[in-house]
Amino acid sequence: MKRFKNHLDERQEQELLKIEHNGAWGAFIGLLAAIFIQGIMGAPFSQIAGEWIVFMAVCIYMVIACARHGIWDRYLQPKASHNLLASMVGGVIVFAFNTAVIWRYWDGAFEPSLLLIPLMSGFFVFVLCFVLTSLTSAYVKKRAKKLEADAEDEDA
Amino acid sequence: MKNIAMKMARVEKDFSQEALAQQVGVTRQTIGMIEAGKFNPSLRLCLDICHALGKTLNDLFWEEETV
Repeated sequence: MKRFKNHLDERQEQELLKIEHNGAWGAFIGLLAAIFIQGIMGAPFSQIAGEWIVFMAVCIYMVIACARHGIWDRYLQPKASHNLLASMVGGVIVFAFNTAVIWRYWDGAFEPSLLLIPLMSGFFVFVLCFVLTSLTSAYVKKRAKKLEADAEDEDA
Repeated sequence: MKNIAMKMARVEKDFSQEALAQQVGVTRQTIGMIEAGKFNPSLRLCLDICHALGKTLNDLFWEEETV
């Protein structure tokens, strides 16, 4: 396949990568915000399906690509305490989202039992995230070891 | 840290930043930023600059450890 000629030098290439990185994260966060805001406004799933599919596709691509290269995260490490922290953040976000939805649409007087749904959904998301991050981090550690071993073999 | 050695070697060869940039296939701004210590070039680009200026990596890019 004929490729386009790259007219950038290595410094420009690095700067373009930084710009693309910022743009990609901006789009990622913007997409998530759009899904949340539309969800809180009561949009049906059919209306946010497009954003949701793109968002999930990006997430899946990033997880698979990072895992294949044995990369976990810049700041978090693939260990239980960090997985617990990240899962708690996920749970709290889902709790806050569902609380906001109920707060917006509930006409009657406030009852503490109303918080049961956000609490339960937040808790289940926390458990699900913890299980998934534990499985993924175990795979990433295994993959990183394999890549390390392969590099040693090439060196020999 | 500014790369004075590279600037001196370029001036000795009577190269402008533009001429050196053309020879090694980068922009003038990139050469300026390497000399100003604002961009760390790859080893490949360091070697190209050394070849263009007739110097070694030691001459242009070695820094004594500052403790």
